[in-house]
Amino acid sequence: MTVKRTAHRMLGVLPVVAVALLLPCSARAQAMVCKPNYDYSVEVDGSFPKNATLYQSTTPGMYFIDVPTCKTGLLMDMKARKVVAVPRDLVKTVDGGLQLSDTVPPAAAAYALAVDGPMVQFQAEDKKVRILRCLDRPPIVGAVDLDALVTDRPEYREGMKAYSPDPASIATMGKYAKRVQIDAFFATWCPHCKEYMPKFLRVMSEAKNPNIKLNLYGVPKGFTQAPGPWQGRNINSIPTIIVKVDGREITRMASQPGAEPEKELAGIFDAVK
Amino acid sequence: MDATPGARPYQQTPRTVSWRRAAGHLGRVALGIVFLAAGFLKGLDPAEFVHQVAAYGLIGMRLSGVAAPALIVLEIVLGVTLVAGVRPLLTGLASILLLLMFIGIEAYGIAAGRTEACGCFGAYVQRTPAQVIGEDLLFVGLAILAIAGLRGWAGTRPGRAAAVLVAAIVLSGAFVVASPSLPIDDYVTRLRAGRTLADLDLAARLPELLRGRHLIALIDVTDPRAAEIASALDALASRPGAPVVVGLTPATEQEIDAFRWTVVPAFEVKSVDRVVIKRLYRRLPRFFVLDSGRVMAVYDGAPPEAGDLLSSEAS
Repeated sequence: MTVKRTAHRMLGVLPVVAVALLLPCSARAQAMVCKPNYDYSVEVDGSFPKNATLYQSTTPGMYFIDVPTCKTGLLMDMKARKVVAVPRDLVKTVDGGLQLSDTVPPAAAAYALAVDGPMVQFQAEDKKVRILRCLDRPPIVGAVDLDALVTDRPEYREGMKAYSPDPASIATMGKYAKRVQIDAFFATWCPHCKEYMPKFLRVMSEAKNPNIKLNLYGVPKGFTQAPGPWQGRNINSIPTIIVKVDGREITRMASQPGAEPEKELAGIFDAVK
Repeated sequence: MDATPGARPYQQTPRTVSWRRAAGHLGRVALGIVFLAAGFLKGLDPAEFVHQVAAYGLIGMRLSGVAAPALIVLEIVLGVTLVAGVRPLLTGLASILLLLMFIGIEAYGIAAGRTEACGCFGAYVQRTPAQVIGEDLLFVGLAILAIAGLRGWAGTRPGRAAAVLVAAIVLSGAFVVASPSLPIDDYVTRLRAGRTLADLDLAARLPELLRGRHLIALIDVTDPRAAEIASALDALASRPGAPVVVGLTPATEQEIDAFRWTVVPAFEVKSVDRVVIKRLYRRLPRFFVLDSGRVMAVYDGAPPEAGDLLSSEAS
């Protein structure tokens, strides 16, 4: 009788033991993986710190925000409408993204967030943080050099990294002997530019031809009415890439879905020998 | 008739009269067919024509909601009466007035910097304002030909003319009202089973959809029902073996973000140029299953049931 009872008790305990043994495995399986999303910018106290990045989790509605000046990472839970402070030792860098342990301390600080149209905002560690689309940042206006552009705009920098231009076209561009000046008018608020310009800039940096000079101009919203280098040049849409060979305007390039700027430029150089 | 030689430098012979009249009839019928086609094509998607009229900024959305359907009826009625030969002088003059109004509106559009297609032949025929002005001038020429050629021709008998007029008004009005509910989307839009992503003009824009199985949701993220649709799609997407759900919308990036932060859908929503996406629907929402870039099935009004998705996979 006693033996039977003990056996029954042991059988009853078995599922609990099994669950306890499996728990660490499931915790590992549920560790959250996040990838950077450069479509969004992180504004902290009115400025856009370099390397402040929004990471998108594989779990819907969960985002990790890395603000280098914050002591902790910030886990944004859109469904629960809160931001939880995540100790940095629970965040690991993995394969171009981050992995968060699921064991966030229960006493971790949490902050309420507010959705204001297309923006999310909250206050964490006395810092006012806003998440907004990169296109909604104040634009770059006027002449800008490539290094300054890619330092300030991660969406351009990462877009350049992601593009693989056609090597044969790059070789054609690299060997071109005539003097070329390319004036590129674009806007950091323009979605077509965000798609096209990183490809174009990657092509220009790959060509490495001293005969090809690139001038970049950021244009403001309502640029047709605003004064600047875009005026008097018949620029009605952006991006507009004006290609001059030996001082003479040869053609203009614009963005198209699936555009391959290196092939277009190589074709132009082949035609103007 | 003046019989004195020299009183008129050119005397009309029966042959010249018949040529002139034949040209007049040709102009009348051609112009009538143009108006009929324009009215019919607009009538296939009256809501889109309301949107296009409002986009000119001359009248507000509410007034456009009345003016646009009225214009469709007017064009069809004018087309029918021209073809039927009802009061040719009056219908010819009315045509000229209407065409001059269109030319004025298009000229305003050009002055205001509009470059997108007008909706003169409905949402599925794309032309620029400048092209439209050229066409309208040609149609004014047809109207002048009809008026000049049919001078002295009374047209259809009054009783029959009245019957034609009443029938045209009633039938065109009924067509405009009933059109959105007619099951003609497969014929009117580009989206139907068997089409490829390239046929839909999306292959270059969304190359990631060329591989694998996707359920594409054409949705209006600003519609209050969008949250309910997103919830149904989330439930579908969570089923084992379900296709990847992707939302496509004509909304702006800002509207998509407002939707993303408030509704928190479990699927990606992407903005597609209105000119491109509008060719795929008359009314939103609309859904389709893509397998390796080919449309397998289309669903109107509500997301497919999980069982439908399995059957479309099997087919």
